[in-house]
Amino acid sequence: MIWRVLATLLAHYRRHPGQLAMLLLGLWVASALWSSVQAVNATAKDSYARANALFSAEVDQLTRRDGQSLTRDDYLTLRRAGLPVSPMLEGTLEIGEERLTLIGIDPLTLPNDNALGGNGDALTAFLTPPWQTQLAPETIDVLGLSRRQAPGATPTVDNNQRLPPLTLRPELPPNTLVMDIAAAAALLDSDNTLSQLVTAPGALTQPPDGYRLSRAATLASPEQLTDSFHLNLTALALLSLVVGLFIVQAALGLAMEQRLTTLRTLRALGVPAFTLTMAILLELLVFGLVGSALGLASGIWLAGQLLPDVATTLSSLYQADVQRSLVLPWHYWVGSLVITLGGLLLAGSGVLWRAARLEILALGQSQAWRLGYQRQLKRMTQGGAVVAVIAVGLALWLSRLPSGQGVLVSFGFVAALLLGSALCLPPLINGVLRLLQRLLHRRPLAHWAVADIQLQLPRLSLAMMALLIALATNLGVSSMVGGFRLTFLDWLDQRLAAPLYINASPSTLTPMLDWLDAQPDVDETLPTARGSVDLLAEKNARGKETTRERIALFGITPAPTITNRWPLLDTQTGRSAAWSALSARSVFINEQMAVAKQLAPGDVVTLETPQGAMPFEIAAVYPDYGNPRQQILMPTDVLVQRFGGDIASIGLVVNESADRQALRQALADNFDVSPDALVDQQEIKRLATQIFERTFTITRALNGLTLGVAALALFATLLAQARERQRQLASLWALGVPRKTLTQLPLYQLGGLVLLTGVMAIPLGIAITWTLVAIINVAAFGWRLPLYLFPWDIFITLLTALGVALAAAALPSIQLWRSSPQAMLNKGVV
Amino acid sequence: MLVLHQVHKTFSTPQGELPVLNGIDLTLDQGESLALMGESGSGKSTLLHLAAGLDVPDQGHISIEGQRLSSLEEPARARLRRQHLGLVFQQFHLVPSLNVIDNLRLQARLAQREDAEWTAHLLARLGLAGREEYFPEQLSGGQQQRLAIGRALAVRPSLLLADEPTGNLDEQSADTVLALLLELVAETRCALLMVTHSARVAAPLNRLVRLHLGRLEDPRP
Repeated sequence: MIWRVLATLLAHYRRHPGQLAMLLLGLWVASALWSSVQAVNATAKDSYARANALFSAEVDQLTRRDGQSLTRDDYLTLRRAGLPVSPMLEGTLEIGEERLTLIGIDPLTLPNDNALGGNGDALTAFLTPPWQTQLAPETIDVLGLSRRQAPGATPTVDNNQRLPPLTLRPELPPNTLVMDIAAAAALLDSDNTLSQLVTAPGALTQPPDGYRLSRAATLASPEQLTDSFHLNLTALALLSLVVGLFIVQAALGLAMEQRLTTLRTLRALGVPAFTLTMAILLELLVFGLVGSALGLASGIWLAGQLLPDVATTLSSLYQADVQRSLVLPWHYWVGSLVITLGGLLLAGSGVLWRAARLEILALGQSQAWRLGYQRQLKRMTQGGAVVAVIAVGLALWLSRLPSGQGVLVSFGFVAALLLGSALCLPPLINGVLRLLQRLLHRRPLAHWAVADIQLQLPRLSLAMMALLIALATNLGVSSMVGGFRLTFLDWLDQRLAAPLYINASPSTLTPMLDWLDAQPDVDETLPTARGSVDLLAEKNARGKETTRERIALFGITPAPTITNRWPLLDTQTGRSAAWSALSARSVFINEQMAVAKQLAPGDVVTLETPQGAMPFEIAAVYPDYGNPRQQILMPTDVLVQRFGGDIASIGLVVNESADRQALRQALADNFDVSPDALVDQQEIKRLATQIFERTFTITRALNGLTLGVAALALFATLLAQARERQRQLASLWALGVPRKTLTQLPLYQLGGLVLLTGVMAIPLGIAITWTLVAIINVAAFGWRLPLYLFPWDIFITLLTALGVALAAAALPSIQLWRSSPQAMLNKGVV
Repeated sequence: MLVLHQVHKTFSTPQGELPVLNGIDLTLDQGESLALMGESGSGKSTLLHLAAGLDVPDQGHISIEGQRLSSLEEPARARLRRQHLGLVFQQFHLVPSLNVIDNLRLQARLAQREDAEWTAHLLARLGLAGREEYFPEQLSGGQQQRLAIGRALAVRPSLLLADEPTGNLDEQSADTVLALLLELVAETRCALLMVTHSARVAAPLNRLVRLHLGRLEDPRP
């Protein structure tokens, strides 16, 4: 019997294919956007897992206290002293446009049983000439080989050397080659240098004399660093899912409304309520499976399009390597299916509940909708009030949390804000329409138009709620991205004070400095330096806290060229005093560190120096966008001399008549650096801006798609009731309202409704922008941005929404214009 | 009041051209009531729609109060309809978004000819006093049709066109509605053209014509 009932129910969609299309469209877009983001996240997580499995975050690391590079002698000395250290050599190989990370290891001494190198014969092959190159299957594309050709192949790299025979190891991260350290040294042309000395976590209780020990626990893994980024993506995808499900619920509600008579008839013919409910459930599952399949297919396609930009972002922002091809584990498929079907059942629960509970005689009384809708409005107001109270509670909680904490609470706050506003929207519109009805009492057509839109509100309200959420999010995220762009470009301008920069290895840059100072064309040299230090304690207003944490150091030359422009967020007694203090014995810290450690100018950090623990007062906090790590800033010479830092780059100010090409050539001739080592400031800005734009590609894409989905929801809702609308308009036509007026009426009605929703979305969007820049960004990335609003962008977004609404409203108007209203009158019933 | 002269109307169907009206001549004077009968599909509603300016004839002309409909553009036809015609449909065509009182005075307001006293009188005569705030779906079929008649008469039309006004009602309701309609028509002295297939409904009207094979026949000697 259930199949006959199901067939009867499905017959409805034969007569109303628009509703079926709307239902599947909702499911499709909800599932597609959600599954595309999950595919990106799953691929990234797989890459992180493989990177973690390698060793980077799982071992303790030794570095020299004097800041010099590690050599084989260090390794031999430590081994002879009986310490369980293992050497690693890391470098980059270029193959065409691609760069591969080459890691040389000694599998015999490597801790953690990570099975690299293998055992038995495999180990012998790894350790002895011609050695082995171990790589993940997806890396072989870069080498221009097929999977079949790869095993045993010895491809040539850019320096005309051949790689040892290839062996595939799926557990390795992408774009990484692993081989014996001897083979790696030959390929990297490295005689004696080592990149790292590693030991098993906790194997050394204290560092050997002359070395520093960095514990595994203090080294953030790519997964930890990128958590917030993926959380942001998931939040946007969840939003798209919710908006898509709004369409589904609207379609299901409409179909239910129109099938009430059928349901009553079926019940009257002896179909039990349970069978009817089960048939509707079965129908939902059929649609769910079709929608999920469509959504998964297009979601994977979309993820494939978005992944390269996401990978670039993760690599440039967090130095996390993510493969360019999707990895979709079984739980991805199951998860996507469960989320879509779960969402569908949630959206359809109201319909199921209604079908299960309604009396046979009451089933067909669809005219009871007016009372029903009033009750629904009351429930919405109550629900909105409850959610608003939750939002206020979360806001209070956030206000008590230290700055930089509460990503999840913030998302909860944004979700509550959006949901509360969406729930309050229909009662608010209803109130405005009632008021308008009173005001327009003496203008019959306007009065009718308002009364009519109020009548449509039950069916339109879900689409309007979806539109409100999408518009507010769009405005909020666009303002955040736009504001970030302005701040970032401004910051970049201030930070890149020198017109030219030289990048080379520290051993080349140090002698180059003296040479540059002697050049008549060079007015000023501004070297920067990098290093790291153990932070031993921090003292702020709340007291002193001891710790041991490795913190990055950055050195700049505090010359007027830099100090006049370098951006500062907070100082104790003004800019000039801060710069004077820096030249004495103070430091600056970046915003990320200030937020994470609750430090401010005037507080003190104790750093480990070769002379022992030394306190440094914090003179200023500076913005450091794009850096995921905490950093302490000091003069370059202090960093090099006292903390063993290396010169990282040299900023150059040359006089106007300088021949840059000649300087470039002279550098190449004297220091054996490539001509590319001298970079123009404009080029750096161009690259940084490019990376910035790519960082927000996925955000912009998801944001735009969500608004598109909301527009589709509105369009589909109007499409579904277009026929009924024509009858209403035809009645008025018969009463003597000219056709031209009638075709304009729906445009005014819907245009007004969308404008009202859009106006409500503006303050909501501003609230979201504020939450993003002041709370979520601080917690996720460690930097706070100024709140920027872009009235022109807001206007354009509203105009787009209005355009979509008018296009949708135009449909019944055009049909009325083209068809005979007389024919519609003949079909019409009140 | 209403003059139809040699009116022809043909519809195109997938099976070919279908002539519905073949040279209709009809005149209706003020205060006169005319029943238009005929079997289903004979073209009664088509003729009514042509008379209301909802459709245009292929040949011939139609005049209302001396104004030729064919010489009027659509906005002018719409103006004529809202100011001089009252329309009552079998399926009521009330506006579901408006309550009883707003439905009742809708056309009068559209024509800017609302007369509060007349509206109140109509409301009482229709038996809908006390139900001003009800919405159409809260009324019975008979009440809805009475409201539709009231709406058509609220503008004090010179010509009332009614298409099977009792077709959707039971016999008792039909009698009540018809009696009320005729009383109000007499009260307003408007002309009435009513399409019906019921001889009982047609009987009280002044004249009766039958539409057969696209032509009018007068069944009475």
